Amino acid sequence: MSDVYRPHILDHYANPRNQGRLDAPDIVADADDPSCGDQLRLEIALDAHGRVAQVAFEGEGCIVSMASASIFTESVKGKSLEELEALSEEDALALLDAPVSAARRRCALLPLKVLQTGLKTYREPSP
Amino acid sequence: MLDAERIRADFPILSCRTNDKPLIFLDSAASSQKPAAVLEAMDAAYRTCYANVHRGVYALSEEATRYYEEARDKVTAFINAAAREEVIFTRNATESINLVAYAWGRKALGPGDRILATEMEHHSNIVPWQLLAQETGAELRYLPITDAGELQLDALDDLLDERVKLMAFTLMSNVLGTITPAAEIVRRAHAVGATVLVDGAQGVPHLPVDVQALGCDFLAFSAHKMCGPTGIGVLYGRRALLEAMPPFLGGGDMIRRVELHRATWNDLPWKFEAGTPPIVEGIGLGAAVDYLNRLGMDAIAAHERDTARYAMERLSALPGLHIVGPPADRRGGVIAFTFRAIHPHDLAHLLDTEGIAVRAGHHCAQPLHARLGLNATTRASFYVYNTRADADRLAEGLEHVAHMLGKAV
Ligand SMILES: Cc1ncc(COP(=O)(O)O)c(C=O)c1O
Repeated sequence: MSDVYRPHILDHYANPRNQGRLDAPDIVADADDPSCGDQLRLEIALDAHGRVAQVAFEGEGCIVSMASASIFTESVKGKSLEELEALSEEDALALLDAPVSAARRRCALLPLKVLQTGLKTYREPSP
Repeated sequence: MLDAERIRADFPILSCRTNDKPLIFLDSAASSQKPAAVLEAMDAAYRTCYANVHRGVYALSEEATRYYEEARDKVTAFINAAAREEVIFTRNATESINLVAYAWGRKALGPGDRILATEMEHHSNIVPWQLLAQETGAELRYLPITDAGELQLDALDDLLDERVKLMAFTLMSNVLGTITPAAEIVRRAHAVGATVLVDGAQGVPHLPVDVQALGCDFLAFSAHKMCGPTGIGVLYGRRALLEAMPPFLGGGDMIRRVELHRATWNDLPWKFEAGTPPIVEGIGLGAAVDYLNRLGMDAIAAHERDTARYAMERLSALPGLHIVGPPADRRGGVIAFTFRAIHPHDLAHLLDTEGIAVRAGHHCAQPLHARLGLNATTRASFYVYNTRADADRLAEGLEHVAHMLGKAV
């Protein structure tokens, strides 16, 4: 099937990995996509070396955005802040291992967008 | 009754395929498809009688002007306006509403005054009033809707008093499909001295509209939702109001005489049409009006009621499908719904792979969705060229999606 709704995507949607909240997150960000009302909260706890020790997400949204969040959180474990900051849209789309049409890019990129917001606030906390 | 099969043959795009399937187009509330008669009228205008209007003394320009202005006469008759001076061409319904907010509202409203809209409005009939309220110090209030998606008319008495200077509401909801009791609302708003704007973006393409019977002061609509082209819309306004209003945009065509430090305005309707107008789009709108008149607006409304009733029966038989809005006898051909826990974006995407075009999201009515407690809905909308077979395909498509997603959703 040439579509994004492949069995592994449906599986991540039905059985999301890393769903929930952390006790003491270092990085937290929320976002919603006003065009479809999708909501996503991402939490990350860092280890002593500044690498991702734990990650969790909560959200409500379409199959593409929620499966993407599940897959994305799996992929960031163990990464350094610099590695997280270097993640591009193409990297995030490649993780899905399924074709994403132009109309659904925003859904697929929601987790990356939330991560980028979280990293920015972590680096430059508001006074 | 309309012969929808014959009508389908008038719309070239309906014989196209999409995603390798025959196209089932169910998004006319966003924008309708165009019949060959409109495409040919526009093509002929560019090929045989195109020049700028209102300026040339040469024959070609005179001919273009005549066709363009004939379109205004057709629209005047279509909505039964008292005079062609009351029919202003704009870019779309949104611009028509903004024209009223800017040129009428900034003079007419002040602190302590109220604007009354409703909870079922499209963003185009909300945001211009928010801007106007911020600028003038007027207060924007909303007539609530019932859980069934109809206006709470019994709340009108409480909300309508002499502080209300403007009442703005839609003739037909683009989400709920609700057809509002517009003449009654106009009468009650007029009784307290309010000016009334009716958003006809959904109503005018689908229902017979007579502005004199309706009694409204302004009516806004777009050509592109009524078989016409994009880029042109209409503002109907009562002549006395339009005469008293300052211009909206300044420039060529809208002036009588310009000196270095002042200018005087052209007559109606051109006072509100600055710059080169959408000439060929106007001619296309005229052809669209001719086309709708040939079918008959009563017949169109009856056809859509029948198709929507049938579609609602088919859809509500699906387990887990919930339609928002009133029963079929009080709505037009717009059906927004939720289906199990399937997100509207997934639903619209998967229906598209079956060749079925529906809209997903908030349909530019976020406050309405918040009132309904929903982030988004999926919307199927029907027009002259849709048949019961389209409703069958939609129902089958939904069953197919439910089956395909299986236990995931
Ligand atoms: C009820 C209603 N009002 C206003 C509009 C705005 O129309 P346009 O985008 O053509 O200006 C729409 C279009 O979606 C509508 O459905």
